[in-house]
Amino acid sequence: MILPSAVDWMELRYFILRRILLLIPTILGLSIFMFILIEAVPKAILVTPYINPHVQIPYIIQEQNALKLLGFNYPPPIAYLFYLDRLFHGDLGLMSMPGYPNSVSAAIIDALPNTIQLTIFASIVSIAIAIPLGTYIGARPNSVADQASRVFSLTGYAIPAFWLALLLQLALGKGTIFGNPFGVLPISGSYNPSLIPYPAPSWFVNGYTDPTHLVIFDSLIHGDIPLFFDALEHIVLPVLTLTYGLLAGILRFMRAGMVDASNQEYVKTARSKGVPEKLVIKKHIRKNAMIPTVTVMGLLVAGLLGGVVLVEYVFSYPGMGYLTTQGILSYQVWLIIGTTLVFGLILVMTNLVVDVVYALTDPRIRY
Amino acid sequence: MMQNSEGTKSDSDVYLRVEKLKTQFFTSRGIVKALDEVNLNIKKGEIFGLVGESGCGKSVTAQSIMYLVPDPPGRIVSGKIYVGNVNMLIGLDRLAKITIKSETNVKIKRNKRLIKRHNYLLSKIRGDRISMIFQEPTLALNPVLRVGDQISENIMLHLKIEMANAILRREMATRKDYESFVQKVFSIGDKDQRGKEILDWCENYSISDAEELVGNIFLTYQDPETIIKSLEFIVNERKSGTDINRLSRARDYYVYQQKLFEATLKLMEAEANGRQDEIESAKYELNEAKREGGTFLSFRVINIFMRRRIEAPLRDAAKRRVIELLTLVNISEPERAAISYPHELSGGMQQRVMIAMALASSPQMLIADEPTTALDVTTQAQILDLIRNLNRQMGSSVLFITHDLAVIAQMCNRVGVMYAGNIVEEADVNTIFDNPKHPYTIGLLRALPRADRIAGKMVKLDTVAGTVPNLITPPSGCRFHPRCKFKMDICEQKKPELDDLGGGHKVACFLYQEPGGSTQ
Repeated sequence: MILPSAVDWMELRYFILRRILLLIPTILGLSIFMFILIEAVPKAILVTPYINPHVQIPYIIQEQNALKLLGFNYPPPIAYLFYLDRLFHGDLGLMSMPGYPNSVSAAIIDALPNTIQLTIFASIVSIAIAIPLGTYIGARPNSVADQASRVFSLTGYAIPAFWLALLLQLALGKGTIFGNPFGVLPISGSYNPSLIPYPAPSWFVNGYTDPTHLVIFDSLIHGDIPLFFDALEHIVLPVLTLTYGLLAGILRFMRAGMVDASNQEYVKTARSKGVPEKLVIKKHIRKNAMIPTVTVMGLLVAGLLGGVVLVEYVFSYPGMGYLTTQGILSYQVWLIIGTTLVFGLILVMTNLVVDVVYALTDPRIRY
Repeated sequence: MMQNSEGTKSDSDVYLRVEKLKTQFFTSRGIVKALDEVNLNIKKGEIFGLVGESGCGKSVTAQSIMYLVPDPPGRIVSGKIYVGNVNMLIGLDRLAKITIKSETNVKIKRNKRLIKRHNYLLSKIRGDRISMIFQEPTLALNPVLRVGDQISENIMLHLKIEMANAILRREMATRKDYESFVQKVFSIGDKDQRGKEILDWCENYSISDAEELVGNIFLTYQDPETIIKSLEFIVNERKSGTDINRLSRARDYYVYQQKLFEATLKLMEAEANGRQDEIESAKYELNEAKREGGTFLSFRVINIFMRRRIEAPLRDAAKRRVIELLTLVNISEPERAAISYPHELSGGMQQRVMIAMALASSPQMLIADEPTTALDVTTQAQILDLIRNLNRQMGSSVLFITHDLAVIAQMCNRVGVMYAGNIVEEADVNTIFDNPKHPYTIGLLRALPRADRIAGKMVKLDTVAGTVPNLITPPSGCRFHPRCKFKMDICEQKKPELDDLGGGHKVACFLYQEPGGSTQ
């Protein structure tokens, strides 16, 4: 639908390659910014997770060793190189929180897939609804459907995600309001622990593996159908919450794009050729309306990352947002900096994808 | 009476007939009476020029004829537009009910079902019988579609049956076909006639790219047997191994769709006439046609899933036609132009593409709405040449809209002068320039620098005093009277009709009419 009939793949490949090369300075800049944040934090707090109180080594010596290990005994530029070296080895620092692994990277690897899953599900659902719906109402501006959708999207803009999450929990959540016939969906976690004989990390112990770190897909891989449906139920409310805001945004832009495109001269040309009205809308108007929509879609999906932190916290969904808030509440500096870095990387990647899709939608963009 | 008999005689070769076309714009400031009962007759093969100041309704006329007036706010209120023998505005009064409470308070209630059917009618007429070239080629081409795709879209919409037939003929060509063709060509002595016959044959067999080759064969060989052999070779080389059964099934389906359209058109005509028995019989016919659709049920299901495969041979033929069209409009490297996007072409090239697009399914009527206004002078001359040549070659009529009298003089056979939504004078091009009658036309021509009149001395150019009136509250009677030097009392009270002064020179002015006499 988005793809033109034939894309100059050769040219596109160079374009993508160039964009990926451009990523390198961006990411380096991001790491410098992160390092400045680290430098701003008192060293005593930074080395805390590196000190083991159960070992018979004096605190001072342990602290000295940790500072040396992290490169903080050198001036900041050298210490940055130490930080970079650790980043290249996938070492984002240590943390100590009950129920979580000691390494920040390990904790993020456990949490990140869940967040990506929420974001992707929410994006797919909202794009799948917003584009056809936006096409429909954009072709009929000021109709009843258009007015209804305007109310719907403005509400979506206005309601903060965390409040909507609470409302949805009350309306659809299991056990929140006594006797609510619609209260059928679970309100916290990513699955029901009682369905697995051991808590999550013991999947390994029990002979299970979790290749995707996502309960939904892992349960399918292992053929655990009850667990699959349970995980699916758990994802409904958070995805619904995230979808509302995103859907509202894309819908508005799609509608505006449609209205704008249908007033253009080339639509008259298409009609003058005898193109049936349905095809005029699908082929000539929608294709042009997609251009601004795609641009904004990337920004909106990136903006979703902000919403996901609070939404995950409300639903206790073990993703990046939940991890970050837990880290903030228990002063885990390395964890906070690590998650921020990962959010930044996700943002950069999303922008790359948006640029490529943009180039595919609009032939006037020359790579 | 004499006029009348002349009228009926010339009616047969009139292709576009516009009767009492009235277009209005319902804005919040009032109703803009943009077109006030415009009448137009354009004969087959003629170039009719429409000239006037900006804001006098030329473009609205063009858009109304194509039914492209943006709605809301605009609407064609009444009138008839016959393209060939079909009225494009059939059943117009039932499409929407307009209740005018006051100038600024107008309620329009649209009948969605009838509008849908009317759109269906329009989609079959536009592009097929009548098409349009727009003012700004940069804006009029869709920026996200390749030029070739935009042109072939037109072909795929209107020429499916012809293309399918030609491909089927090519795929199933036997010795008999070649023999009869060779005999026919031998029987024609005239060289041009022969060339035309060869071209027709090649188009009929969907091998138009081999036209030159076939022509050369007839030049080089005299022996029928050799010619037949070579023709067989050429056609066989171009056979693509298309699934004949599937294609002929598709062709039957397209023919069925065409039948359905004709039955619907008949029903619409009957409903417009309002005669109950006609409506009943038309409905019966439509139902009969629809019943035939039952046999296509399986094909329609397959068509949903395999449309691309089924239409592939047609699309190949359309692609070839696109290249031919681009060559016809003098685009060098047509293959490259076909796969480029509009922004990669220059303004002149874009306008050529527009023209190719308008000509894609050989319409009988072409509307050119100031096609050269956005172009520089050299390109303008080329485009004008192109339109004139195509008009000569293809024999289609052109409605040429411009504000440039020099272009009119260069291009047109007949001219209509428009003022504030009325045609005030209509005559052939020489009469307009040598013997203008209407005060407005005279004023327009005075405003034109002329080498013969100002030779050697400085002459200040005249202008028509005043401006085009606000059409929300147009002047009563003749809309030109506030600016007219020869204003009479009657001009304020009564609207002059377009009257024939003889020889097809028509003027709407009381200066040339017996008051109250010839208007009846």
